[in-house]
Amino acid sequence: MSHLTPLFNDEFIDLPLKRALGQVVKRRETGSKVVGAYCSYAPVELVWAMGGVPAILCAFSNAPIGKAEETLPTNLCPLIKSSFGFIELKTCPFFELTDAVVGETTCDGKKKMFELIGKHRPMYVMDLPQCPTNKGAVAYWRQSVAGFKEFLESEFHMTITESAIEKSIQESNRKNSLVEEIFAFGAHDPSIITWQEMYDVATFAVVSNGSETIAKLQEIIALLTDRREKGQYVSKENAKRVLITGCPIGGDVLKVLKLVDEEGATVVGLDNCTGLKPFLGRIDEGSDDPLMAIAKRYLQIPCACMTPNTGRFDQLKKQVSLLKPDLVIDLVLQACHTFNVEAVKVESCVRNDLGVNYLKVVTDFSTQDLGQLKTRIGAALEMS
Amino acid sequence: MEVIDLIKRFNLTINIKYFTILPLRKSQAPLRTQEVHIRRAGIDIGSRSIELTIMDGETCEVTERFQAETSIDLASQLRNIQDSYRWDVLVSTGYGRHLSQNILGGETVTEIRAYATSAHHFYSEIELVIDLGGQDTKALLLDPCAGQLLKFEMNDKCSAGTGKFFEMMAATMGLSLDELVAAARRGEKLFEINSTCTVFAESEVISLLTTGASVEDIARAIHESLLSKLVSLLSKVMKADAPSVLFVGGGAKNSTLVALLAEAVCKKIIVPEYPEFFGAYGAALLAKNTL
Ligand code: SF4
Ligand code: SF4
Repeated sequence: MSHLTPLFNDEFIDLPLKRALGQVVKRRETGSKVVGAYCSYAPVELVWAMGGVPAILCAFSNAPIGKAEETLPTNLCPLIKSSFGFIELKTCPFFELTDAVVGETTCDGKKKMFELIGKHRPMYVMDLPQCPTNKGAVAYWRQSVAGFKEFLESEFHMTITESAIEKSIQESNRKNSLVEEIFAFGAHDPSIITWQEMYDVATFAVVSNGSETIAKLQEIIALLTDRREKGQYVSKENAKRVLITGCPIGGDVLKVLKLVDEEGATVVGLDNCTGLKPFLGRIDEGSDDPLMAIAKRYLQIPCACMTPNTGRFDQLKKQVSLLKPDLVIDLVLQACHTFNVEAVKVESCVRNDLGVNYLKVVTDFSTQDLGQLKTRIGAALEMS
Repeated sequence: MEVIDLIKRFNLTINIKYFTILPLRKSQAPLRTQEVHIRRAGIDIGSRSIELTIMDGETCEVTERFQAETSIDLASQLRNIQDSYRWDVLVSTGYGRHLSQNILGGETVTEIRAYATSAHHFYSEIELVIDLGGQDTKALLLDPCAGQLLKFEMNDKCSAGTGKFFEMMAATMGLSLDELVAAARRGEKLFEINSTCTVFAESEVISLLTTGASVEDIARAIHESLLSKLVSLLSKVMKADAPSVLFVGGGAKNSTLVALLAEAVCKKIIVPEYPEFFGAYGAALLAKNTL
């Protein structure tokens, strides 16, 4: 791998979060407001439209969990505990940089956590309808989108114009399709892009936009095309191929992906909110109601918080046919009920409809299950 | 005789056909030539014990078995084994397989693959396998035609459904493991231990002791508690029409548990002669393929 040109040839090699932090700080220094977000449902186009920058506050470190458990129940999603613990300890650089925070009523744990952190920052909680295909759901969600816009306007004493929204919609679409193009390189066999690189791209693209971002993503595509043409592979030939789905991942929970590497297999796709998911779908351009266009696209995000969540299965089918994995790992964070229960349907879809081996992993950010996970992942790969 | 005796004393309505202890099936055509066959070894390094087996390269007949507690200094323990035993090819399995590979060489496989391999080799018709080890419990579903592993499940990361649970409970009650098993055989199913956590289960046991519950009944409840976890794990891979379950791992030596499992799943439970060696057997059998 050392002969390869890194996709990001900067001082943040292997430190995607620091790179993202750098991006946010850079924008903040030029006067941009920083709006913290916890979820892919946050309509960041509005933040861009007001000249702000979003910062992702989901945390994946085991370190602050002890602190969080002084207040929160132990049997809660580690992502929520970690994010909360960082805020309590005042050691989350992203949170410390924020001027305001937006939340959505996705899962219960997060929703109630927002109430606890609301005292630290101006906060807007968007009410997300959980039956996205029901009549009136999009119209209702549009109200939340509009409410968020008003919140930003009154908080920062400014107006967000329709033309600014339209511009950021177009930029988002452009960015998202480039990210999608990059993830599609995962289809190559042997692999030409590592999961670390996919994760880097996703982490970078979430907090950046505009022409610089587009140029960077295009440069990455050129590098990957070059790897493909030169036959520069990042996996062994015939390495088993793994698609990761499920909850968002990062930091300490990347242990699962590292174990896949250790077993000599290659991760070919990240079908979750820290991977491709936030970049899917396009927002209608040039519509006469851009807020409605935004509302429509966001409500199509296939999160397990929704019911029915048919989009997840359509997306899985597309990913499987494109990436041709030998194994799908459904990574569920401990106490995340929606993804854990949805796993029943995911397993059936993957095994029965797609004929691909499936492994559900329920884990947290600790290292206590490493040995067991290694065996389970190893065995699932042996049989795939 | 001991089996029938056990069931009688147990006062359970188990049909004897559900409960068989079988010797290992001997290889069909043992070679009786003088030539020296290649020796293939399998080593299973668990968190609590190590099993090493050496097989005849041609006939797969087991020629040596060695078992020891896993020592804290695993590396030197492995070097000692290397000095004391001879083999031509070796495959390592179990938690310590990678360290073992570093020291002893050869290939590694997961315990799951090893169990699937040995189960199919010795009991070619078997579809369901359950392994109760020191810190792990596994249930496997095999395709009896090709011996292919179709599905597997493992216990959660805690020790509640594993052999370690028995050890801790026995210690809490001041009994040896054998005494605990024997007591459970005489006990009645009067109450349940509900805690899924070993530590909480321990305090439940203590409070039962202080309320005057009999040691036998508590021992029985401890067995029932573990049984329910075995059954739930098995049911995740279960094929309803599979007639029998192969029970391996150290836990299979617990005759009370075996009898209870037979009753709970209404299937014949097959316990091989050396159930704790199935990981090592599987590794050794796979060593053949690397020749
Ligand atoms: S998984 Fe669902 S709740 Fe979590 S970030 Fe993604 S969309 Fe939001
Ligand atoms: S992983 Fe699940 S429980 Fe955790 S924050 Fe996301 S949706 Fe909520």
